[in-house]
Amino acid sequence: MVRSREKAKKAEILTLEDAVRKYMHDGIVCAFSGFTGFNRNPTAFAWETVRQRIRNIHVLDRHGSVCTWLLNAVGAIAIQETDWMGWGEMAGKLDVNLERNYKAGKVILEDYAHGAMAMRFLAGAIGAPFIPYYAPLGSDLYNPDYDALGRAGMRDGSNPRIARKKFIQMEEPFFGAGEVILLPAATPELAVIHVAQAGEKGTARWRGVGTIDKEIAFACDKVVIVCEEIVPEAELRKHPETNQIPYFTVDCIVEQPWGAFPSSVPYYYDYDAPFMRTMDVASRTEADLQNWLDEWVYAPGSWQEFIEKLGVKKLLDLKADSVSGYSMRMMRGRKPAPRMTMPLSVARSGY
Amino acid sequence: MARSMEELMELIDRIPDESAKPGEFILPELMAIAVAHEVRDDDIVFAGTGLPMVGIMTANLLNAPHALLIYESGICDGKTMHVPMSVCDQRAAYMSSTLGGLVDTFGYYLQQGFVTLGFLGGAAIDKYGGVNVTSIGDYFHPTHRFTGSGGNSDIGTMAARTAFIILQEKRRFLERNDYTTTPGWWCWDFKTREWKPKKEVWKGTPFAHSGPTAVVTNMGVYRFDDEGILYLETCHPGVTMQQVKDNCGFDLNVAMVKGETPHPTYRELFVLREFVDPELIFLPQKVEYPKSIQSIIDD
Repeated sequence: MVRSREKAKKAEILTLEDAVRKYMHDGIVCAFSGFTGFNRNPTAFAWETVRQRIRNIHVLDRHGSVCTWLLNAVGAIAIQETDWMGWGEMAGKLDVNLERNYKAGKVILEDYAHGAMAMRFLAGAIGAPFIPYYAPLGSDLYNPDYDALGRAGMRDGSNPRIARKKFIQMEEPFFGAGEVILLPAATPELAVIHVAQAGEKGTARWRGVGTIDKEIAFACDKVVIVCEEIVPEAELRKHPETNQIPYFTVDCIVEQPWGAFPSSVPYYYDYDAPFMRTMDVASRTEADLQNWLDEWVYAPGSWQEFIEKLGVKKLLDLKADSVSGYSMRMMRGRKPAPRMTMPLSVARSGY
Repeated sequence: MARSMEELMELIDRIPDESAKPGEFILPELMAIAVAHEVRDDDIVFAGTGLPMVGIMTANLLNAPHALLIYESGICDGKTMHVPMSVCDQRAAYMSSTLGGLVDTFGYYLQQGFVTLGFLGGAAIDKYGGVNVTSIGDYFHPTHRFTGSGGNSDIGTMAARTAFIILQEKRRFLERNDYTTTPGWWCWDFKTREWKPKKEVWKGTPFAHSGPTAVVTNMGVYRFDDEGILYLETCHPGVTMQQVKDNCGFDLNVAMVKGETPHPTYRELFVLREFVDPELIFLPQKVEYPKSIQSIIDD
């Protein structure tokens, strides 16, 4: 929803613990950055959210991630409005915790699609209340009977972040271009965005894919930036075209090195697929899951202790190469990665 | 003997482009190469994680070197050296033309009509190419719940052509899906509550004639007739027509079958094994080359 504002925000720098304490609360509607479990997930923030036992969260996000995996592991998510309930692609895929909670009736799952969610956040970002999209006619995603929040009686207008309808199908009124779907803007309360660098004022930069993080930053009321490093604003101003988030959207900055593990931060560290597979395996039984949570979430005294527990070898293996932005030392499959100096397609056929 | 990747690159044109014999390749390799054959050199391809990605990467190294690959996290024309495990993998972004986000890929590229070929997976498919990646049984009380759409429903309806890779079983090849995530050539019209040809439901939109054109399974390759109904085009080596029919939940048209799915060639296998997935992430094992090929590599 559009918010008329009286004055500019001023970003504050907080510790992870204090940022979660201040910006998360029971019943919050929030979105996380990155892409699935592989890229720039604000894992440390979700991990601390679990430790502070915040509950009844409504995640309005484009797909599952390490963050939603952690929150679903303790049943902290009440509503997941998403387009993909997986989290790990080639390292786990389906979120077993979410599936278990869903089948037990503990979570409301509202299905959208990836493009549709991108458009919903774009609408939220530009302050438009809805957006037309050629979402697939004939898909059960746009079946009026399959509106999970409506069925739960939650589309009565009492929650300003839950639209009165999941979608509206209408005849395109300007050009006569067939039937089109209108999608409501996505406007969560809080965006938690993990980036490579943030200036002390809040200007933020990442390298690699953008996913939908700029849109999320503008669509949400409040923005917490978790960064690998806080750098002088002056440094970021030398190449402003490579910055993505302007500081005036940012409420809070948290410096948390390795805070996106086991997802990647391009040019900083790679994703840890074997670690994600152990998470997936642990989620298959409730006893294994509890042991995993005890060991990895509750036992460490801080996120730094969590990272120390991984060991130096692991961190060296994951450290990204400065040229490619990922690691060629990490064992992802059954054989090590070959060393290459040029992609074969370029060597043979150019661009 | 160990060779550098650059030395292996030099060998590609010396490996014969002749069909490998049964037993010299495994099913995932056959399927990846069948995927590769769907890609044309002038395609703009939007593909999902897994076998679709491996197949189109192989095509990009062989039969379609100028095909442009889009990955949904925002990647345009990455020149990949190492197989990605996700469509947001930095490996997929290496040397790309531009990097953006989901609004770029689904809005500027896909809805704008640039994408010519989608390549996707699916949990179940109906006889008109409608795909289910969401749930089995009652939607609100499913017996099986899958991940849901992701980009499947957007890409599978807005790309000019779409090919799917699906594991073929009787319960996955259906007259009608329990849940249609990505509609095929016939679909439900929620306005009139009727089952209709897609081109009627989508009339007037830019995508009325876009949709599924091929399906690759573990048993064969399928295409769609003028009515939009799936038919068998080729059986994979060692698979009988009866086995195909036994693993299909509707009365499958096998009258137009053209014989066996082409075997991968030695050169295709060499590129797939040495350059696309040498880390054995998607492929389950490294298969030995026949002596005649190994001697070229060892030479």
